[in-house]
Amino acid sequence: MKKLYSIFKQGIIFENPLLMLMIGLCSAIAVTSNVSNGIGMGLAMTFVLLFSEIIISLFRKLIPSMIRIPIFIIVIAAFTTIVDLVMKAYFPDLSKSMGVFIPLIVVNCIIMGRVEAFASKQNLPSVIADALGMGLGYTWVLIGLAAVRELLGNGTLAGIQIMPASYQPILFFILPPGGFFVFSLFISFNLWLKKRMEVSARNKELAAKKEAA
Amino acid sequence: MKKDMTKLGLTLMLYASLACASLAVVYAFTKESIDKQSELQLQASLKELFPEATVFDPIQDLSSPDPNIKFESAYEVKSDKAALGLAVKATGPSYGGNATLLVGIGLNRSVAGVRVMALNDTPGLGMNASNPTYYVDKTKKVTFLGQFAGKFLTDPFEVKKDVVAITAATISSRSLTNIIKAVGNAAVAYMDQKAVTAPTESGPSAEAGANTGAQPQAGGK
Repeated sequence: MKKLYSIFKQGIIFENPLLMLMIGLCSAIAVTSNVSNGIGMGLAMTFVLLFSEIIISLFRKLIPSMIRIPIFIIVIAAFTTIVDLVMKAYFPDLSKSMGVFIPLIVVNCIIMGRVEAFASKQNLPSVIADALGMGLGYTWVLIGLAAVRELLGNGTLAGIQIMPASYQPILFFILPPGGFFVFSLFISFNLWLKKRMEVSARNKELAAKKEAA
Repeated sequence: MKKDMTKLGLTLMLYASLACASLAVVYAFTKESIDKQSELQLQASLKELFPEATVFDPIQDLSSPDPNIKFESAYEVKSDKAALGLAVKATGPSYGGNATLLVGIGLNRSVAGVRVMALNDTPGLGMNASNPTYYVDKTKKVTFLGQFAGKFLTDPFEVKKDVVAITAATISSRSLTNIIKAVGNAAVAYMDQKAVTAPTESGPSAEAGANTGAQPQAGGK
């Protein structure tokens, strides 16, 4: 149980796919001009990641290593298409606003990376913990980025006007350069947080040792 | 080696067929719902464009002047008493793939209104074409597609001249404008040929204005 929790925790800060591993950035910058898009993309990506990892982990002994990459792509593409169809059928508004980014989940490097590096070698419980952790790590960064960009660039949060009407939106934040700018701030924040957590963990260890002595 | 390759190929085929089969099941399961959604959307949009209309007669012999732009369906719109205009569902290439618009043309040869049926574009940029709170004219609260309502087809329909583009999405703006223009030209030609004309002067133009609430700047600058 403890092991599963530590795998789950990895994806959120220490090995955050966007801020530490720096993969899957294109979609992260592109959809985060609006908080609802961020939530939708995060959930859709988590769903695809979870099910692809589960299937690959279950079949890992039956996948010849020479053709593993095409098989991974087939599995990922199948789940992405399922998400796309289900969204079109039951959440037409969300599907409309996500536009071309749902089909692009197929080539999201996070999924490919996790499937190749993790799911193809691990058993089912660890894989589920990894997928949920990575998905949550991706989603929180998307929502955070989108909140900053939408608030400054459009004066709204999830479409609701927050800033006073006199506020002149800074268009820079909605456009790609603003995305990179906010993203870099998130990276430095995450590094700072990681360092702090490491230092406090080491201090705790030292204190425990001292007490024991 | 040769045996290996056959084996690998067969394994790959097996996985691909399994994926296909599961997709087919999901597709069959969701198809009805997706069709229903798009039909509902079409009916609602037709009603929005022509609030007085009671009959939407499908017509077949309306062809697109542009080979890239396809007309999926076209309707002659009528109220109880008289014809109101034409409505065409047209698909054409845009920035993120094909865009599908429903364009209404009034009897006075002006655009009655435009609605988005399907659009794949960059969220926050090109997607603003279908955003009801994105205004190209903030003071008058005119949306990108709203600016076409009441616009006469004798206008040039050129982005950055008489059509205000969406910020940072000029290509999308231009593509959507082209679709509207193609529908407009085809519809005007059709109406001229079939001699569909307005019974009274006030009917269609008053109706076209009522759709937007605000009169967009017809002449551009």
